Amino acid sequence: MRIAQLIVLSAALASVPSAAHAQGKPAPKDALLYFVWPQDGATIKGGFWCRFGLRNMGVTHAGDDFQNSGHHHLLVDVNEPLDPNEAIPQDKNHLHFGAGQTEARIELPLGKHTLQLVLGDAKHYPFNPPLVSEKITIRIK
Amino acid sequence: MAEIRDIKFGRSNERPREATPRRLAAIVAADISGYSRLMELDEEGTHARVKRIERDLIEPSIAEHHGRLVKTTGDGFIAIFDSPVEAVRFGIVIQQNMIGRNALLPKHHRIEFRIGVNLGDVIIEADDIYGDGVNIASRLEGIANPGQVYISSGIYEQVKNKLVCGYESLGDRKVKNITEPVRVYRVLADPTAFHEHRKRRENILIFLLSLTLLVIASGALWYVLQQPNGKLGKQASAPALPPVEIPNVPSSPAPAVKQPAPLPPPSSAPVPPTPQAAPQTQAAPSVTPAVKHATPQPQSASSATPATQPVSAAREPEMNPIRGGSFIMGSNDDVTEKPTHQVTIKPFAIGKYPTTVHEWNECAAAKACGFVATGKDDAPVTNVSWSDAKQFVAWLAGATRKAYRLPSEAEWEYAARGGTQSKYWWGDQFEPGIANCKNCTDIATTEQPVKVGSFKPNPFGLYEMGGGVDQWVEDCWHKNYQGAPADGSPWVEGECPAHVIRSGSWKNDARYVRPSNRDNYDTNVRYPTHGFRVALSP
Repeated sequence: MRIAQLIVLSAALASVPSAAHAQGKPAPKDALLYFVWPQDGATIKGGFWCRFGLRNMGVTHAGDDFQNSGHHHLLVDVNEPLDPNEAIPQDKNHLHFGAGQTEARIELPLGKHTLQLVLGDAKHYPFNPPLVSEKITIRIK
Repeated sequence: MAEIRDIKFGRSNERPREATPRRLAAIVAADISGYSRLMELDEEGTHARVKRIERDLIEPSIAEHHGRLVKTTGDGFIAIFDSPVEAVRFGIVIQQNMIGRNALLPKHHRIEFRIGVNLGDVIIEADDIYGDGVNIASRLEGIANPGQVYISSGIYEQVKNKLVCGYESLGDRKVKNITEPVRVYRVLADPTAFHEHRKRRENILIFLLSLTLLVIASGALWYVLQQPNGKLGKQASAPALPPVEIPNVPSSPAPAVKQPAPLPPPSSAPVPPTPQAAPQTQAAPSVTPAVKHATPQPQSASSATPATQPVSAAREPEMNPIRGGSFIMGSNDDVTEKPTHQVTIKPFAIGKYPTTVHEWNECAAAKACGFVATGKDDAPVTNVSWSDAKQFVAWLAGATRKAYRLPSEAEWEYAARGGTQSKYWWGDQFEPGIANCKNCTDIATTEQPVKVGSFKPNPFGLYEMGGGVDQWVEDCWHKNYQGAPADGSPWVEGECPAHVIRSGSWKNDARYVRPSNRDNYDTNVRYPTHGFRVALSP
């Protein structure tokens, strides 16, 4: 137990400088990330085009390190909080749009799902504080 | 004087050509890249700016370098100079001035010249010049990148010892409508760019150094904290390299951080060549793979090609031959893996491990891969896009003259299953410690990615087929197997925006290490858990 704690401590210590370097880019205060479509509470039949909205910042290709720009990530049914010191995960619940896409065709199983957008920087890290959209709930019937 | 007049009249009278005045000249052709785009954006503004540049910069500079403006075209101009040195100097002056003028403008409003300089015999008339030499100059301009000066070998021979700047040979280029290929050089005029590059490199080095120091310091701190209070004084001076750093790592020799990089000893060169791709010489997992790679490559020794071909550099990855066969691809565990279907695989070979940082950096050193990977030499290379992986296999295939490539998705799954049809290669139940996935091992995230070969091989002797790093395959992404080929070939069509990744990574949970699991990612985007392994056609 104690060893585990120490490992965590040393890991945290070791990761401090790199984390501080890799992330923590501030987003402009008036930046706004939102869903153009669908809206919270929508009921949708089958697949749909999910459209991402971003105000006061630009969308760019992942890897391009321009000021005030980032790329979209769509979190589907994700409940764990984001770790600001890690790249946004990549799996079937964390969809990446690193080519600068602003919309995507989404197909989900029947039932209720939550959707949330997160803007990532050139290295897929969230901004500091994270720029996220409202978490919406939709129902697929 | 009278003669010249005659010639001018001669043109209209179609008199014989031999009387036209010819001379040797350094010809400068320039044009504005993306001129029509600029005009579209702001026609009047662009026109006014171009005219101003001509008046304030180009005309005075030509005069200053003892040249003559032959003509201006809508988006550029042609000038001739008596001296090649002056012509190249003029090109550099224009480009450097334009950098200053463009500095404050947004990217899409910048006016950037492409400049070509050639030495040639030309026919001079009052308002134009003619000849091959002019055509070549404008072809050079056509292939130059915006903001750069390209020169022909004739110019290069004249200026190389007189103008202090860099020249990069771009080799012989075939240019339109000119039979002989032209040797092209790029002028690297800007010493500040060089300095900037170096400064950035220094910054990175300083950062890495301080990072290493911090890691060591925190490691030492932890070590000190870990000592039972009584022993503290006695042991504090011992070198802080605890083999206990990762307790309970099953089956893997503690992937302790400070292992010396297993570079091949230079003395190994005269060792008699061993057959390459030494298949199935099952390395105990504790042997670092990179050391095994160190056997010198027979091919480079025997095919003693002259120094023109830098073939010798490529060391081949360890490959396991896979016998062909049929299997049921896919599963019913996820919509993307349906429908299950039978696929027949032809014999091929696949990398025993994912491609390592060391292997990648040989490609980077040969300038054939886009970036230098950081991390331990024997760790899998990460943060590669599909296009990066393709560059690597293309380089490897060229350097070894063997058909190295990415595996197809079907080949990957066949190899990952290792002859089994179960959910995991070891059975239907998940077992911790066999694969490198999230919450499947005791490895601290800061240790990741751990070196290749740290986990048990599957029945085909392949390591980390599932977990570790995600692995690119050749196939375009399709959301399920509806219409998939049954012959094991990659499923591709034209340009696809996303390609398939397999294996799951150390950041994905146990569901992702199933051999049938599949996911996708944008073709040209890098992500920190993405790597690949190579395949080889017989």
